[in-house]
Amino acid sequence: MSNQDTKVGKEASDLPRRNFLRILGIGAACTGAMVSAGSLIAKEQVNESATAPPPPKIPNYDWNKHKWAFGIDATRCIGCLRCVEACKAENGVAQDAHHFRTWVERYVYLEGEDKPRIDSQSDPQNIAASGSEKEFRFDNRYKDAKVEKAFFVPKLCNHCTHPACVQVCPTGATYKTKDGVVLIDHSYCIGCEYCVQACPYGAREFNHVLGVTDKCTWCYHRITKGLLPACVEVCPVEARIFGDRNDPQSPISLFIRNNRVAVLKPETGNAPNVYYVGIDKDVS
Amino acid sequence: MIGTLAHAAPYVGYVYPNETDIPWGILIVIYPYITGLVAGAFIVSSLYHVFGLVQFKPVARFALLTAVSFMFFVPVPLLFHLGNPQRAFNAVLTPHWTSAMAAFSYVAGFYICLLLLEIWFAFRADIVALSKTTSGVLRTFYRVLTLGSDDVTPRSLAIDHKLAVILAMIGIPAAVGLHGYVGFIFGSVKAREWWSSDLMPVIFLLSAIISGVGLLIVLYVTYSKVRKVQVDDACMQGLARTMWAFLMVVLVLEGLELLEMFYKGLEVIGMVQRLIQGPIWFSMLIQWGGSIAVLTILTALIVFRTKGKSLVPWLTVSGLAMMVAVLAMRWNVVIGGEELSKTMKGLLTYYPLVFGRGGLLVVAIIFTCPFIVLWVNTRLLPPWEPDEKAAT
Amino acid sequence: MPKHLVRLLILVAVLAVAAIAAKKFFTDKSYYMYGNYRGNSVAEIASDVPRFRGNEYCKSCHTKQYAEWSSSPHNSPGTGKHVKCEVCHGPVGQHPSTLPAPLNFDERLALKEGITNYQAFMPNGKLPVPKEECVQCHEAMPGRPLVQRQVMIAAHAGTEKCIACHNPHSPKINFAAVLQPPRGDASAGKAVAAACGACHGAAGVSVNPAWPNLAGQHAGYLTNSLEAFKSGTRTNAMMSGMAAGLSDTDMQNVAAYFSQAACKTSGGDKAKVDLGKIKAASCALCHGAFGISGNPVWPNLAGQNADYLSSTLKSFQNGSRKHPVMTSVAKTLSAGDVANLAAYYASVNCK
Repeated sequence: MSNQDTKVGKEASDLPRRNFLRILGIGAACTGAMVSAGSLIAKEQVNESATAPPPPKIPNYDWNKHKWAFGIDATRCIGCLRCVEACKAENGVAQDAHHFRTWVERYVYLEGEDKPRIDSQSDPQNIAASGSEKEFRFDNRYKDAKVEKAFFVPKLCNHCTHPACVQVCPTGATYKTKDGVVLIDHSYCIGCEYCVQACPYGAREFNHVLGVTDKCTWCYHRITKGLLPACVEVCPVEARIFGDRNDPQSPISLFIRNNRVAVLKPETGNAPNVYYVGIDKDVS
Repeated sequence: MIGTLAHAAPYVGYVYPNETDIPWGILIVIYPYITGLVAGAFIVSSLYHVFGLVQFKPVARFALLTAVSFMFFVPVPLLFHLGNPQRAFNAVLTPHWTSAMAAFSYVAGFYICLLLLEIWFAFRADIVALSKTTSGVLRTFYRVLTLGSDDVTPRSLAIDHKLAVILAMIGIPAAVGLHGYVGFIFGSVKAREWWSSDLMPVIFLLSAIISGVGLLIVLYVTYSKVRKVQVDDACMQGLARTMWAFLMVVLVLEGLELLEMFYKGLEVIGMVQRLIQGPIWFSMLIQWGGSIAVLTILTALIVFRTKGKSLVPWLTVSGLAMMVAVLAMRWNVVIGGEELSKTMKGLLTYYPLVFGRGGLLVVAIIFTCPFIVLWVNTRLLPPWEPDEKAAT
Repeated sequence: MPKHLVRLLILVAVLAVAAIAAKKFFTDKSYYMYGNYRGNSVAEIASDVPRFRGNEYCKSCHTKQYAEWSSSPHNSPGTGKHVKCEVCHGPVGQHPSTLPAPLNFDERLALKEGITNYQAFMPNGKLPVPKEECVQCHEAMPGRPLVQRQVMIAAHAGTEKCIACHNPHSPKINFAAVLQPPRGDASAGKAVAAACGACHGAAGVSVNPAWPNLAGQHAGYLTNSLEAFKSGTRTNAMMSGMAAGLSDTDMQNVAAYFSQAACKTSGGDKAKVDLGKIKAASCALCHGAFGISGNPVWPNLAGQNADYLSSTLKSFQNGSRKHPVMTSVAKTLSAGDVANLAAYYASVNCK
């Protein structure tokens, strides 16, 4: 049985759970809220979702025809951080060492040590090596050390099937699209940062200028135009793979089919959609 | 675009790059704290109004005013914390019901309405009387509050009383729910090991009650001193016993929670240990040291049946210490949870700012406001019973 | 029912109706269209303008560079080696148009909210030339997979730049294809050169045989030398200070000026010249059979002062100057070889 089959099976089995949660949420709210107003809102929701509206007005794009997913081949990553800089340039992310839509971690096991030494491009020593918080590089600090094993792991938003961030958003400013991307409506977000707390992967960051939460969109403005996300576009070693799972011959479908893939923190029940090859027990 | 982070949190070990921008600061420490004071004060008033414990009669109406004065300021730290406070209405307009936070405006709004109604029924006879004895703006104010009805016949007062009891009975689950729900906001975040506990709502609620009782003791004694009336002995003893009982349970539950965490020894435990020894050691000391000290004093007061002049200072100190200990507990939960990195391989340290929107100054101002509003409220609607004795 | 209760109920009912009406009025029309969110925001987010636009966009104008790159190892899709234009050059944005790009979702929002300092960067017009990007990927570093080509920079290149030997568009060594350093303006360089004249002569012919002649030297070599003095990878009591005050443009201009000045052969001891000529065969691969180097970033030796040449070789021997090739070459030379070679190159016609 291919991975895709199991995925579909899993989603089907999750359906009752989602409905149950929804009913539970509506029920709890109705009792808590002023009863009349509460039930009106709930009814409205059900009515509206019963009719099938036309897909969003994106030129030459129908979100019903795609199911996006992301792959990372950590065995290929060279830690050049072109992806991190490209992401910031493409998406106008804050130019400092504390706000990232994607980042790269380095795991180094030295001889005689059980635990890896972990750092990312944000580490002060790496920032010192790059000379600014606008450019990123890994300081070559282990070049003379006795390294037993070392590797790089790119990280980004997992665009989970059951995103905890979407679950906790009080306004509906963040949501999951039909094609599998978790987006944030910056014009609707109140900036409570509950979603920042809820994400187990630390993928969400706060845009202090607009007062809203921000995160990776898989470059939704690119993928809906037939382009690759910026980080995938610039990865010189093809460590980042992106594609449509509805197309069995897409790079991501092949990647998932031809490799034994893992996801991060599956125990949280978020069901991530970023698939990893070549990560280790200490990566989480 | 320019970097706009006022300050990044220092850390040890490995934390996700975005974690150095700590999402919830001291404003969110004060938010559950104020909510807790409301819940505690309300429970004391219900002990009289619903459960008929007459020793609480001297503070029953005062407790209601305390609850509503603090309740007005529950949303304020939240609004100050929001990146876009002008959009806060969105959460009311289009609530996303799977979010624990979406219900906040409804739960809080419902609770404020309930409190206002209960106060209205409890004070209606006084309001009608005041509308006749005052003049000018005050008279208009009281006239509006009467809704144009002077009906204070025994029959309608009996109906009022019945409705007040019903409201108080709804109020108990509402108060418990409101605060249990605040605990749920934290307890349901599975990404945060330090928060993600089934006991969180219960512990939040019970510690809320003890902090509220503590506040009530302090306020009651202060108001009595200022008004130069005698502090009611039976009432004080009742408050001492209430605080003792709830404090006991809180300590046992919190102890159990820690014990369970260490006994299970999950992956995160090493970092939890370092968290307790590191960034939050001082507030842990305040929380546990304060709680145990208060428990000791209360036990002694109850065992020795202390009364009158010697009871007042000890109990007041206990009340204050309880408030401080619970504030420390809120810090430990909210800030501690964020200082423990989601990587489980690092610890951050949060330093509050003094100035700025999320700074200590703003928090101090927000926390002062309910006391001022309470003072105004007690002037508009004097809650005191007519049979008070003058201080000797 | 008492009057006050009736009025209370009316008040509650009025408030409830007002609340429901407010919800109807204020809720965005596209909300609940697809779920519990504002449906229009999907298309708004999708409307942003991409900044990275891919190889095809570059190809339409930069045909020569594209052709070089497309047949090189840097273009091996599917094998884990696919270094596209924007990896090194950065986002192309609106280039070459100088018109500003349409605002994206966040920028429009900031404008609406009255935030004026929120203008994200969108490249347009002339794009910056990439700096030394090679080391980002090719510096030997624990954690990089073994299949990745990696070098220890100090041993592999010393103070030499990557582009001295490699053309990044087609990195396999091919000296004919090596990138030319940016060309300076000789007339503008003349003013800068005034400061050099005291030692190197106003026309680039040194006043003291211990110092190098600059006239007729490759501009690329001169620029790189000045940059090395400025950055500190090469040190000299006099030159480090001189170079520190020069901008990149100054260096290119002054290099252009001296490279176009007429050179003068200094001449050398005839007996040594013949011996040196034999030994010079081993230098010819890089510095040319007659001391004129084929690579513009390697120095010409023809006509150079013998004293300077021999002291330079000695500095490679004793390690005070470092170079991946020259250090090892110099160490094979005897004291006599050094003197003979210096005399030979000093006597070769530099024209």
